[in-house]
Amino acid sequence: MTSNRFFLHVSASIALALAASAASAANIAAGKEKASTICAGCHGADGVTSVDPSYPKLAGQYPDYLARALTEYKSGSRKNPIMAGMAAALTKEDIANISAYYASLPSPLTFKKR
Amino acid sequence: MLNSLSFNTGGDMLNAFKQFGFRQSVAVAITAVGVACSAPGFAQGAAKAAAKGAGAAAPAEIVGNAQAGAKKNSACIGCHGIPEYRTAFPVTYRVPKIAGQSEKYLESALKAYRSGERPHPSMKGIATTLTDQDIADLSAFYAAKN
Repeated sequence: MTSNRFFLHVSASIALALAASAASAANIAAGKEKASTICAGCHGADGVTSVDPSYPKLAGQYPDYLARALTEYKSGSRKNPIMAGMAAALTKEDIANISAYYASLPSPLTFKKR
Repeated sequence: MLNSLSFNTGGDMLNAFKQFGFRQSVAVAITAVGVACSAPGFAQGAAKAAAKGAGAAAPAEIVGNAQAGAKKNSACIGCHGIPEYRTAFPVTYRVPKIAGQSEKYLESALKAYRSGERPHPSMKGIATTLTDQDIADLSAFYAAKN
């Protein structure tokens, strides 16, 4: 009985830990779903082929930079009427997921040697 | 309006020739030519004035030169030339990859940093040292592959 209770306790802890890590880690699949409805219309389904040359390529960009950009659009510290509207609808979790999704895509972005 | 003017002038000349004979019609023709010449002249002047007004809002288009940009990027490479480089202020995150980015986007980003519309202390400091031509050159340089 004691060992059973101990086992229950351990497995409950593991389940909680897994749930917590799943919540904090970005979910690329969820990001893809959001991105396809919100972002792809302008930035392209591939995150490269945007509808306007003045829109940035997102594919392969660092997720923390993308998340920061979206957070700044949402707060209004970075001003853009279109992006403000898009970011306003996103939760912190959405931002993490979308950023992780775009970061995971094949990218034309590189580094200059000098 | 210009077309109808020259049409009328032509009609007048024809009528004048019919009514007054050759000598008078030559005089009318000279007047008509004067009017015809001055009308486009006036139109040109008006077009120039309009262009001048528009020019104040949108100066002659600046074309970026990637090779010139390659010589102007000393302020960029310290952060953007280092993979995984992180900014220290105000919140730590990796500075964006900019090589291969859209030229128009890079240009608008640098101009927004320069004007302060896009807030970032170090990017503002760097962008304020750049002319429109510098920005165009750097954008062309970073947008180009390799």
